[in-house]
Amino acid sequence: MTTRNKFVNAKKWLIGLLIILLAATAVIWYLFTLKHDDTKDLKAVYSVEAVPFLKEFETDMSQANKKYAEKVIVVNGIISELEMADTTANIKMSDTTNGAYIIFAFQNQHVEETKNLKLGDKVSVKGIFSNAAYSAILETNYVTINRSAINK
Amino acid sequence: MIFNFKINRMKKTILSMALLLAGGLVFAQKKTTTSAIINFDATTSLDALPKAENKTVIALLDTKTGKLAFEATVQGFNFENPKIQEHFNGKGWMDSEQFPTSTFSGTIINLTKVNFTKDGIYNVEVAGYLTMHGVKKPVETKAIISVKGTAITASSNFSIKLADYGVNGAAIAAGKVSKEPKINVSAVF
Repeated sequence: MTTRNKFVNAKKWLIGLLIILLAATAVIWYLFTLKHDDTKDLKAVYSVEAVPFLKEFETDMSQANKKYAEKVIVVNGIISELEMADTTANIKMSDTTNGAYIIFAFQNQHVEETKNLKLGDKVSVKGIFSNAAYSAILETNYVTINRSAINK
Repeated sequence: MIFNFKINRMKKTILSMALLLAGGLVFAQKKTTTSAIINFDATTSLDALPKAENKTVIALLDTKTGKLAFEATVQGFNFENPKIQEHFNGKGWMDSEQFPTSTFSGTIINLTKVNFTKDGIYNVEVAGYLTMHGVKKPVETKAIISVKGTAITASSNFSIKLADYGVNGAAIAAGKVSKEPKINVSAVF
């Protein structure tokens, strides 16, 4: 192998290595700066009414948890409680027959949308299903929906 | 005359009953919220991403007995980075499918220090049991009870050793997740 050929080979290796390094850096950068999508831009997989939705968990919590896991969901219902703080806003829809409730925690950029809501308002909320559980403190079932936004 | 006296006495009785009922409602001893907040910070010098917040924690404070309890769903912790959130819920870390909730149940040891009817900031000691990742361990920590009008705020900062709760993922061994994350709990009742 001539000196020239050796030089060409080394150059190819260096360029290959540089491409691999750049690709790895790009992947790491992408993973580190990844953010959750704005829920408002996501397409809902399910659209449900609050009380029948809660009944599904009463019937079979494990099955319903699997069905909705991490899915984008629209829930329509009446606001039974508003729990507001400076930077957070949670609203609830309840089944008045047994106290079971759905709680919606709003995505930071959508907290402002909750400021004009009132108890008894009929709303449509889109969010990411987190999970349902039984509360030993409240002695009732509850469903948590995260990263919520007002649907309309 | 006698008739008027009877009416007045009846009015007084009704008023007393109404005041008692109102007082009972205002100072109801068992207070709950479904919007308590837990912040979790497991960042290290190698990784600033593993920190999260759960804004839908259920909490109870019994002002008569000093009982304090929290229930948090593991999947309710929101990370800014969705990949870290996925790892947090995975089998190598919190395994939220198998262990969906973390709970604390305890009491304020020095409850007599707190006057729930007087505005102020009270430093208290709390002792109880924290159940996480299916492991129940005793915990003792300092907390602050703040009373302002009818609002009572309970807050505490403490840290836990993940190894005590059987949480030993590769990221922890590699120093990307703190072995002793800081936890901040805050509940407004």
